Amino acid sequence: MAVLQSARTDFDAIVVGSGMTGGWAAKELTELGLRTLVLEAGRPIVPEQDYVEHTPPWDMPFRGLGDRRAIAARQSTQRNSVSFDELSHVFWTDDVDNPYTTPADRPFHWFRARQVGGKSIIWGRQVYRWSDLDFEANLRDGIAVDWPIRYADIAPWYDHVDRFIGVSGQAEGLAHLPDGQFLPPMDLNCVEQHVRQRMHDRFGRERILTIGRVANLTTPHLGRAPCHYCGPCHRGCITRSYFSSVNATLPAARATGRLTLRPFSIVRGLIYDARSNRITGVRIVDAQTRAEREYTGKIVFLCASALESARILLNSRVGNSSDQVGRNVMDHIKWGGGTGQFDGWSDRREIGDRPNGIYVPRFRNVASRHPDFIRGYGFQGAADRPGWRSALRAPGIGAAFKQRIHDLGPWSMSFWGFGEMLPSADNRATIHQTLVDKWGIPSLHIDCRWSENDLAIHRDMNVTAAELLETAGAKNIEHPNGPSTPGGTNHEMGTARMGRDPKTSVLNGWNQSWDVPNLFVTDGAAMTSSGCQNPSLTYMALTARACHHAVDLLKRHEL
Amino acid sequence: MKRRELIQWLVATAGLHRLDSLAPQELLALGRHVHRRAAAGRALDAHALQTVTVAAERIIPATDTPGATDAGVSAFIDKMLADWHTPAERDRFLAGLPELDVRCRARAGKDFVDCAEADQVVVLMALDDESRSTSSGEHWFARLKYLTVFGYCTSEAGMRALGLFPLPWRYDGCAPVSTH
Repeated sequence: MAVLQSARTDFDAIVVGSGMTGGWAAKELTELGLRTLVLEAGRPIVPEQDYVEHTPPWDMPFRGLGDRRAIAARQSTQRNSVSFDELSHVFWTDDVDNPYTTPADRPFHWFRARQVGGKSIIWGRQVYRWSDLDFEANLRDGIAVDWPIRYADIAPWYDHVDRFIGVSGQAEGLAHLPDGQFLPPMDLNCVEQHVRQRMHDRFGRERILTIGRVANLTTPHLGRAPCHYCGPCHRGCITRSYFSSVNATLPAARATGRLTLRPFSIVRGLIYDARSNRITGVRIVDAQTRAEREYTGKIVFLCASALESARILLNSRVGNSSDQVGRNVMDHIKWGGGTGQFDGWSDRREIGDRPNGIYVPRFRNVASRHPDFIRGYGFQGAADRPGWRSALRAPGIGAAFKQRIHDLGPWSMSFWGFGEMLPSADNRATIHQTLVDKWGIPSLHIDCRWSENDLAIHRDMNVTAAELLETAGAKNIEHPNGPSTPGGTNHEMGTARMGRDPKTSVLNGWNQSWDVPNLFVTDGAAMTSSGCQNPSLTYMALTARACHHAVDLLKRHEL
Repeated sequence: MKRRELIQWLVATAGLHRLDSLAPQELLALGRHVHRRAAAGRALDAHALQTVTVAAERIIPATDTPGATDAGVSAFIDKMLADWHTPAERDRFLAGLPELDVRCRARAGKDFVDCAEADQVVVLMALDDESRSTSSGEHWFARLKYLTVFGYCTSEAGMRALGLFPLPWRYDGCAPVSTH
C-alpha cells in the first residue's frame, strides 16, 4: 500500500520476538500493509516435527520424568515451571547459556523461551479480561502511577483478539471480569457442578465458580480444529486447537506476503540516532554463526518478554529518561488455596483430559473492603480423581494391590489462588556489571520480593479456599506449601510501564516510548499494575491496539 | 561373555579338559552364570535383573490383565537406576536388593528367584511393611515398588489395562466408571 513512500529502510517495521505479542504485532502490521521483519532469538519450529503431544509415555526414555541429570546440569531454573517436562523441556532455554543473578536470599525464577512461538507454545492458555477495577486501582490506592487507559479503551481490542484466537468460556455478566466473545464453554465435571451450586447457595453472586476461559477451541475456528482433549498442550498441538503464534498469528502474517521471519537472531541492541531522535534499526548476532548484522526499519516493536525487552532497552541505553526501565517487576503470587476430598460420585469418572479447569473470579475488595490488604486474587482449580498415582506408595502386593492401582480413588477439588502483586520501584532488574550470556550480551541481575500486602493476599487464599471447600462438603482439607518464588508464575511484567507522565513512566497510553517516538513496547513490560488475571490476553490486546495506532501515525507522517 | 563365546574359548584354549574336573553342581553353576551374564542389564547384573523381574511380577502379577513382566518393568527399572538415579540412590538400591536372597535362603534355603512363589510373597510382604515404618530416608524396597508401579502404569500394556490408552479424544466430566 501507499502508506510508506520511502524505501530507504530494509523494512517498514521490525518486531523483536515471535511469541504471544510478537506474533500479534507481525499479524497486525503486515495486514496493515507494512513489510515486517520479525527477529526471533531461538530456532524455527516446524509443528510436524517439533510438536510431540501425542508421544506416549513408553516412548520417552524416562517415561515423562525427564533426563534428570541433563536437566540438573543445564536447566536447573527452567525445570521449576509447571509446564516443564521430559518433552517440553526443549521449549525452554538453557540456563548455562543464558545466565542471570539474584541476591542470594531472594531467588527469582526467570522462565524463558527462545524459539519461534516463544512462550505461546507452552503457556497455560487461561484468558481473562481486565476491568476498571484493575485500570483504576493504582489511582484509587495512590500506588505507583495511574494507568493511562481504561476498559473502554481496550474493550474493542479484547473483542478483536478474542475473535481471532478463539476463547471458550461461559458468560457470567460480572462487571469486574467482563465477558468476552466466547466459543461454547467446556463442561464442568460432576463435582465441580456440585461445588458451583453450593457456592451459589451460600455466596450468591459474590463468589461464583465458572469454567475456565481458555484459548482452546471447542468448535472449528478460522481453519483450526477443535480440541480433542489429549491433555499435554505444552508439548504443542498438531491440530492447532489452542492459540499460539505458531498456530495462528504467524501463519496469518505470512499469508500477507509481507512477513520476513528470521530465527536465531539475538538482538544485541537498538540503533539510536540522536539527530532525528529515532531508532533507525536493530543490531543482531546470529545465535549459530555469531555473525553480526544490522537491519533498519521505520518503527520498532519490542515483544521480547518483559525482562528481555527491559534488558534490550537498558543495554541500548535508550528510552529510560524516567529511570523506570527494569523497575516495578511484578508477577502473581501463588501456591495458596486448598484441596479437599469428597465422598460420593464414586461411580463417576472423567473421560479425556480437559485442558482447562475452573475459575473463581476475584471477590476480595470488589464490593467491600478487606481490613488486611488491598487488591485481591482469583482461584483456578479443578476436581478430579487421582487414579494410579495414589498407588505409588500404597501398601500391599499381588492381585489385591493390582486392583488398588485400577481404583480411581476419591474425588478431590482444588482451589489455587493467583494474587495481585503491587508494583514497587525497588523490585528491579538491572544490567549485571560483569556477567554476559553465551553471545557476550550483558545479563540481568534481578532483585524482587513479595511485599507485605502480597503475602497477606497469599495467606487469605488458604482461609477462603477452606471456606469454599467446607461449604461444598469437602473433608481432609490441605493447603499448598506456598508462597511461590517471585517469577514462578511466569507472569513477569511491569519493567517498562505505561503512564500519563514521561517523568514517571516509560510508555504513553499507546505503548509508545515517551523518549523515542518510533519505539513501541507491547509485551508484559508495559503493565502499570499486575491485576490478578492471567495477563496474556491483555498483552495481545495492547499489542494490536498499538499496531493500529503506529500505522495511523505513519500514515500521518508523524513518526 | 555369551555362551557361544565361552564355547569358542573353551575349544580354542583346550579348556574343555578343565571341565572334566568340575563336579555336576559346579557345571550347573557355571552354565547359570554364563546364561545370566548374557541377560545382564546396565545397572543390574543378570542375577539382580532376574530378581527384580520376579519381585515386580509378584507386586503386579499377571491376572486377567498383563503383569509387570509383560509390561517390561524390569528393563525400565534398570534404565532408571543406570541413567536417572544418583549414584547414592543406585547404591542404596543395589545394597538392599540382595536382602531378598538372604531372607529366602533363611526361610527356604534358596535364592529368591528359586524360592516357591508363596515364600517370595511372604518375604515381599514383610519388606513392604518394614519399608513403610522406616524413618531413615527411603527404604530400598519402597523405591523398587515405586518404580514397579510407575513403570507398569506408563507402559503400553499397563496403560491399555488401565483404560488410559488409546486416548478417547473427547471429554465427559461425569461418565459412568465402567466407560472406557
